[in-house]
Parts: sequence; structure tokens; C-alpha cells
Amino acid sequence: MKTWKKVTSIAFTAVLAVGLAACSSSEKGSESKVEGASASDYPKNNITIVAPSGAGGGWDLTARSIAKTMNDTKLIEKPIVVENKPGGGGAVYMAEFATKEAKNDYVLMVKSPPILINNDKAEGNSPYGYKDTTPLAQLTRDYGAIVVKSDSSFETLQDVLDAIKADPTAVTLAGGSAPGSMDHLVGILPAFEAGIDPKAVKYVSYDGGGEAVAALLGGNADVIATDASTIATYAKSGDVRVLAVSSSERLEGELADVPTYKESGINAEFTIWRGIFGPKEMSEGAKNYWSDKLAEMVETDEWKAELEKNGWASEYRNSADFTTYLEEQDKVILELLTALGMQK
Amino acid sequence: MDTLQFLADGFSVAFQWQNLLFALVGVIIGTAVGVLPGIGPMSGVALLIPVTATITSGMPTSAAAASSIILLAGVYYGAMYGGSTTSILLNTPGESSSVVTTLDGYQMAQQGRAGVALAISAIGSFCAGIVALIGLVLLAEPLSNVAVKFGPAEYFSLMLLGLAAVSGLAGKSMTKALIMTVLGLMLGTIGIDAVSGIARFTYDQPILYSGLEFLTVAVGLFALGEVFKTILEKDEETGAIAKIHRIMPTKQDLKDSAIPITRGSLLGFFIGVLPGAGATLASFFSYMTEKKFSKNPETFGKGNIAGVAGPESANNAASGGAMIPLLTLGIPGSGTTAILMGALIMYNIQPGPLLFDEHPEVAWGLIASMFIGNLMLLVLNMPLVRVFAKIIETPKKYLLPMIVAISFFGVYAVQYTTFDLFLLLGCGVLGYLLSKNDYPVAPLVLALVLGPMIENNMRRALTISNGDFSIFFTKPLSLVFIVAAAAWLLVPLLLKLRGRKVIINEEG
Repeated sequence: MKTWKKVTSIAFTAVLAVGLAACSSSEKGSESKVEGASASDYPKNNITIVAPSGAGGGWDLTARSIAKTMNDTKLIEKPIVVENKPGGGGAVYMAEFATKEAKNDYVLMVKSPPILINNDKAEGNSPYGYKDTTPLAQLTRDYGAIVVKSDSSFETLQDVLDAIKADPTAVTLAGGSAPGSMDHLVGILPAFEAGIDPKAVKYVSYDGGGEAVAALLGGNADVIATDASTIATYAKSGDVRVLAVSSSERLEGELADVPTYKESGINAEFTIWRGIFGPKEMSEGAKNYWSDKLAEMVETDEWKAELEKNGWASEYRNSADFTTYLEEQDKVILELLTALGMQK
Repeated sequence: MDTLQFLADGFSVAFQWQNLLFALVGVIIGTAVGVLPGIGPMSGVALLIPVTATITSGMPTSAAAASSIILLAGVYYGAMYGGSTTSILLNTPGESSSVVTTLDGYQMAQQGRAGVALAISAIGSFCAGIVALIGLVLLAEPLSNVAVKFGPAEYFSLMLLGLAAVSGLAGKSMTKALIMTVLGLMLGTIGIDAVSGIARFTYDQPILYSGLEFLTVAVGLFALGEVFKTILEKDEETGAIAKIHRIMPTKQDLKDSAIPITRGSLLGFFIGVLPGAGATLASFFSYMTEKKFSKNPETFGKGNIAGVAGPESANNAASGGAMIPLLTLGIPGSGTTAILMGALIMYNIQPGPLLFDEHPEVAWGLIASMFIGNLMLLVLNMPLVRVFAKIIETPKKYLLPMIVAISFFGVYAVQYTTFDLFLLLGCGVLGYLLSKNDYPVAPLVLALVLGPMIENNMRRALTISNGDFSIFFTKPLSLVFIVAAAAWLLVPLLLKLRGRKVIINEEG
């Protein structure tokens, strides 16, 4: 009897142990350590696309749209997982992407102008820029938006600027990215053009556009700067009012009635492009694989449906064109930051 | 949609076959964790995070998060069930929350009523689980609606309260608890600052840019720390296990325990809701209450069934109550809930007021699964109580290598870096040294999780107020939290000064 007891208890724990160990070693165990994969055997594992922000922002939605389209159309059979890595307006994950993941063909990243801005700005500078990645493709174009709660006393962009001019400490501007990064730029650009010292504008940063909207709705911010596509759904539900967008011409769809910065008397515009990046030392095979698949993807109806749903304008550039575009944009951003006195 | 509709949706999530399986595995492992003296709910949950992360890796994020939190929560409340088994049979509590159960439970076992004691604690735990569930359903939605109005100032003060509560009650010395809290806050600053993007304490090591991985630290401090402690201190096996004869309680037993179970459940739930006051306190309070209300208090400690039923209900209800601040406010009130929160964050699910809007399937799925899990525990525990009792006999020489292996496999499966393995080892040694010298580890882990959030919210609040610290005192809710935080720290101190004995919460 006694030995039997012992046997059962050992058997029980052994089953527990084997079960757990088997779970942890299977599936994901070999995900990351594949280097220099050739075109024929890539992808061997699940692929991760990282949105370097919290859930619900532009990066997050873009990453999810790519993953969904690729898997739904069976362009890529291997499951694509989207991971959010918030912090520092993308700078926190950028450091990891440029160092730890530099050779990992199975981790890609979605990004937009902050990859340039964070590298060019003086305060909170990220030592890593687009040169520490392999740009794969630009996919969409979007614009910045200045947004207030629907019961706000601010009716126009000019109202906001007047209030800031009168007392910069009285108006709280919030955004989903770090100070000096994109949402901040979108927000202070009109102020700068209106002759307000950009440093005097009170800016509170949240982890991603979703949190910034929550702060606005909860009454913890007076105005937020975010991107036009993300805010469209909130505008539709009537929770918020969009005062201005940073495009050169009026947008279509939900925000068609919203004036541009220029119409509001502010001579400025800001384009938010979004693209997908591979790690710096991505293998040739993996790079070609993605270039082909992305070129195919942008032509599919499923992708067009995603664009439509999210209110993004399609703007596709392949790897080479995207790299050239990034070089040009880098100069534009540096000029803008220099004008604001925030350059590196 | 109203709450009932959400709950129905939650049940449809919880009834998916894989989630039923996850809940079952969770409660079984939880019971085992509760029975095994070397490993508590905190290390059990920490140990299983990487395992569940790997199993769920192919699923969509939200579903994966729901499944894995269902399993992890199952371990948490399953441990509350299991903890009573060793208290009753061996006079050795498997968990600190079952310490009081030894008083009457072991006596009952001596009188040949071990089976009845085990059964009544299972029934009590089940009733408590249901009470906690009803409380969650009633309170979760309204509370999260209020919490949306929380600004950075309120969050800052509330988190401060959470830290103060855990530090004020953890361990024998508050000074040591506070030292650990501050150490945790300091470790939390390592990495790139999320507000400004400036690297802090990274010494240009890219591996440190994203900070110390919470999971590695938690597994190291709790699981490995316990392993080292067991090896180095050569815990001697305790005496003989009491025999289990009759399991089904008599009508009289049920009648005697009905009121204590109800009282224990309610008391436990409300104590569980308070940050910092966990299951251990709840069981102590329940025992004292039962003794006070009893017609014959002299029978307590001599095998009174109320002394088992009350505390066992209370500790289980408290683990359900502790879910409320975690889910609705995003503030963990204890070490174990801090680890659960870390698991949710790994899946990009931020617990808090937005959870119920953004990921209703996770929040309600978890709540519904707790009901199913409690039912499973009741069904499992009644007939299988003899089997679970055998787990106690697992020889250490098999148990310890298993824990070590799962720790290393698990951390590597999530992190893929050898740095984290060294960090794991380092934390294991540190965990041993700390607990050997009575430094409580739970405040450190809680501070590590809350630190960056506290800092960000403080900076946001100060930006809004133009650098004026009075914002924390002029906002009424924030002021209430700060006063409560101060009280958590000062009251035990004052009581001690007046020579009163203060109950401490060792469970964390």
C-alpha cells in the first residue's frame, strides 16, 4: 500500500512536469533564432509585427490590418501575431528592435514619422533611426488632427490658439506620443505658426492614441492632437469634435466637414506616412519575400477594405522608393524641428 | 447591453472547450500548489505565466489573454482550496492564508473527522467563490464607470495607497517592507523613460533599454528563491498524515457551518477588495469573528467546525474580492494580483476602467470562468481529496528540479535572452537572502510593477497643474487615497507603539 501511494504521487507530479515542460518547449521554442534564411524556407515560424505603442493607435491598427490581410488572403500562411510594445513614443521598442532583434527575420515593426523625429530631436533623443532598420514598404498616408470633447467651449482651432495665447498654463494639450514626437508636433505646429512659444504649450503624453482619447473623454485634457483616421470613429459617435486636420486639402468621409490648418489661417501641414520595417540585418531572402508579398497585398480587395474601414489613404512605395522618401522626409523633419528650436 | 448580457457573453467565452480545459488545468495545478508547502500561489502563478504564454501563442491576442488569465486565476483560487488540505491533515499550512485552519482543522483530524473538515472547507470555499462572484458582477461595472473619471492625480494617489497598504502589512518589520518597496521603485526606473524617451541606468547596454523584465524578477525571487531556501535549510518532513475516513458532513455539521460560511464569505470579500489586505488577514478576521459570535467559544481550538468553515470561506472570498481593484482600477492589491496584472500586460491588456469596454471578453470571461472553476473545485475536491492529500508526499528531490526546470524553460521561452537567465539566477539568490533575513519580497514586486505607472501619472498630473504639487491634495478623491495611504502606514505603527500585537499579512 505504501509503495503504491508513493508511485501515484510520483506519477502525478511527473505528469504535471512533463505536461508543463512539453508545453513550454513546443510551438514557440525555435521562433527567433533563425538567421540568414534563404528565400525558399522563409518563413519557417510564426511572424510577429510589433506596434511600438499601446493598443488602439495608428501603429497598432496598421499592424493589425497587415496581419489580418496577409493571413486572410493566405498570402502568408504562417500566423502573424501583433504585439504592442509601448513607451517613449516608440523609442523604447526602437532601441530593442535596433539591437536585440537586429538579425531576427521574424520580427517586423510598423512605424511612421517618429522614427525620424525621435532620432532628430534634442530632448529624449533616440540614438536609433531609420538607418538602423530595413525599410520594406510605405503603405498608407494619414494626417494629424486637433480634437476637443464634444461639449468643449472651443469651437475652432483659433479659439484654442487664443486661449493658449491668453494663458498657456490654462490649456492642457495631450497626445499619444512622447514630448517632441509626432502628436506633440501636430499639436504645437499651429501654435508655433500663430506666434506662440512652442515650449510654453502644456503637453501631457500618454501611451498611445487610445489613452489620449480616454484622457480627453474623462476631462483630464482640454485638447488632444492625434491622427485623423483614429479619431474618425469617435467623431462619428459624437463623443468628440475635430477642430482641424493637418492635410493640404479637405479629407473625404467622416471628417469632410473639418477645415484644414490652412483654412483655419495656419500656414502649415503635416503628413503622417506609415510603413513597415524589417530588422537592420534582415536576410536577403526574407527581405525579398516581404517586398513581393507586400506589393501583392496592396492590390488585394481585402487590403482596400481595411484602408476604407480605417479611413487611410493608400500610398504604396516599395523598399527602394521608401528609403529615398525617408531620406527626403528626414531633411523636412530636421528643418521643422530647427524652426521650432528642438533639433538635435 | 446590460450587465447580465455581458455576463452571458462571458459564459460563452468561458464555456469554449479550450477555456474549460484551461480552467480545469488551472484549478488542479492551483490545488497542487496549495497543497505543496514549498510553493505558494505567488510563485505558482509566476511560474505558469511563460507556460501559458507559450501554449496560447498561436491564438489572437484577446482570446489568448482570456484563456491564459483564466488558467492563472484558477491557480490563484485553486491554491486557496488546496492550502487547507495540509493544514487539516498535517498541521502544516500549505499557504499562510490557511494558518488558522490548523487550529481547529487538525484537531478535527485527530478526532477522526479529517474528511468532514476537508469537505466543509471545500463547500465553504465554493460558497465564498459564489459570493465573490456576485460581488464582482454587481460592483465591477459601476466601479469601472467611476474609474473612467480618474485623472492622473487620482491614479497616482490610488497606486500610492496600494503600495502603502502592502508595505504596511507585509512581513514582520515595516522598515524592511519599505526598504523593499523603495528598492522595487528604483529597479522600475531602469530602462528608457516612457515619457521623455531618455535612457536611465542602462549604462549603454541595449539589453537594459526595455527595463528589467518583471516576469524574470518575479519567477526568480519567488520560485527559485523558495527552491534555494528549501535546499539550504533542509526543511524536515513533518509528522504523519491523518487518515481520512468519512467525507460527507452530517446534517448537523452543515447546520453548524452555514452561518460561519456566510459570514466568512462576506467578510472575506470586503477585506479582499481592500488593497494590501489579502486572504491571510481575511481568514484571521473570520476566525476571530466566529469565536466572538460563538455560543461556546471555549470549543475553538478543540475541533470546532466553525473554526474551519469561516476562515476557509473567508480566504477564498478574499481572492475573489482582490480581483475587483485589479480589473476595474488596474491596481493590484497584493503580490499575486500584481503578477496576474503583469500577465495581462504581457498580452497588451491593460487592466483598468477601459478593460470592460475594450476587452469585455477578457473581463467577463474571467468572471464567468471563476464560477465554473469553483464548481470544478467542489466536484474535484470532494471525491479526490485523498488523491490531493498524496501530493504532499512528493519527495523534494523530484519537486525542486521540476521547479528549477520550469523556471528556466519558461523565462527563456518568453525572453529569448541569456541575460534574463542570469537575471533569473541572480534574483533567485537574492530572493533566498531576502526571505532568510525577513525582508518581504511582495512589496518589491508590486513596486516594480506600479513604479513606472506611478511615475508617469505623477508627471502627467504635475504637467496639468503646472508643477503644483497641491493637485494631489485639492482633488477630493486623490486626497482620500493619500489620507488612506498614510493611515495604512501609521495605524499599525501606532498600535505597535502602544504595545498591541499587529496581524501581518505574509501572503502578500
